[in-house]
Amino acid sequence: MKKLIIITLCFLSTHAFSQSLTALQYSIGFGTGDLGSYISKPSFRGVAIDFRKLVTPSIGVGFELGWHVFYEGQSGETYTRGNLTYSGNQYRYNNQFPALFAADYYLKPGEKINPFAGLGLGVMYSLRDTDMNQYRLTQEAWNFTLRPEIGVLIEANASTSLMISGKYYHGFEAGELPTQSYFALNFGLVFKK
Amino acid sequence: MTHFIKAIIVITGIGLALQGCYPQGPEFTDDYDLVLTYVNDDYDFKAGATYALPDKIVKVTGNMMEGDDPVFIPDAAASVILAQISSNMEQLGWQRVAIDDDPDLLLAPASWESTTLYYYYDYWYWWWGGFYPGWGYPPVYASGYSTGTLVMGLIDPSEVGANGNPVLQWTGALNGLLSGEYNERRVNTAIDKAFAQSPYLKTN
Repeated sequence: MKKLIIITLCFLSTHAFSQSLTALQYSIGFGTGDLGSYISKPSFRGVAIDFRKLVTPSIGVGFELGWHVFYEGQSGETYTRGNLTYSGNQYRYNNQFPALFAADYYLKPGEKINPFAGLGLGVMYSLRDTDMNQYRLTQEAWNFTLRPEIGVLIEANASTSLMISGKYYHGFEAGELPTQSYFALNFGLVFKK
Repeated sequence: MTHFIKAIIVITGIGLALQGCYPQGPEFTDDYDLVLTYVNDDYDFKAGATYALPDKIVKVTGNMMEGDDPVFIPDAAASVILAQISSNMEQLGWQRVAIDDDPDLLLAPASWESTTLYYYYDYWYWWWGGFYPGWGYPPVYASGYSTGTLVMGLIDPSEVGANGNPVLQWTGALNGLLSGEYNERRVNTAIDKAFAQSPYLKTN
C-alpha cells in the first residue's frame, strides 16, 4: 500500500503543471491522547514547511516537514511505582518531527479565497525526554503517521497567499511510545511559482 | 524551485531561532531536588509507638569501610535536621525515647556527598603524543557538580535479616545539588515531603 502511494505520487509529479506552492508556517500544537496527558500545555514552538506541485489546478501533491516542541515543567509532583514513591520537579520535553507525503484538494482554485483539504501520510520521529534530578529518561519512536488537514489560502498578490490551516497528526504506536497525536494550528505564507 | 530554496533558508533560520528558545528546564539548584521513599509493605507501622533517634548524623565516607572513626556532619546543621525529623515523627504519632528504653523503631539518619567530574581531553593524543612531543600536553578540561544526600532509615530492632543485618522497613532519601552553603529551608522542605508522601507511617 505504502509503495503504491509513493509510486502514484511520483507518477503524478512527473505529469505536474509547472505551478507549485511552498508554504512556510508557524505552528501552535495542542497535544491529544498520550501526548496531551504527558504535556497538557500547548506548544508555541512549531514550524512546518509544505511543498506542493499542482498536478491540476485543484490538486497538489508534495511533502511536509515539521518540528513541534512540547514542553512542560511539573513542580514538586509525586509519583508512585510499587513500593517506591518519589517527588521533585520534572521537566518534560516532546519533540515531534513529521516527514510526510501530502496531497491537497483546492476547492476554489484561482479565487481570492481558496479553501482546501488535504491528507498527509508518512512517518513522525517522536523524541520524549523526561528530566528529574540529574537523570534523563529518553524514549523515542518512528510513528507511522496520518495527517488530515483543512485550511484556506487567502491571496495577497499574484505570487503570495496567506494560509491558515488546522492539521491533526496521528502517529500510530511504535518504538518506546504509544500513539502520539496532536492538533496543530498553522499560520503561513504561501509562495506560488 | 527558487521559492523552495528560499523557503528552506527561511525555515532553517526559524529552526535555529526555535533552537535558541528551546526550553531549558531547571534554573536553580533546588529544581534538582529529589525526595524518594521506599517502604516494606508487609510491615505494620501501626503496631509501634516509640522510636529512638541519635543526636548526630553520620557522614558516610569511603574510609568508614576501612575501620576509620565515623565522621559527623556539623552539629549546627544536624540539630536542625534532627529537630525536623522529630517534628514529623511526632505528627505521625510516634514518641521519641532513648535507645536504651526499648524503642519499637530506630530511625538512623546518614548523609554523604559525592562529586561527579567530567574530564575532556583531546582523545587522539594517545596516538601521536609520543611521536610529536613538541605538540605539548593534551589539553584537559574539567567540570563537575557535587550532590548531597540525606538518608533516613527506619529499622525494627527485633527483626534481623538473613545476612544478620538489620532490615530497613522504610527509607527516605533526599538528594540535591550542593549550592555551597547549607540551606535550612531547602532541607526541611525535603524532610517534610518525605514524611508527607509516607502516610502509612502514622501510628495509633
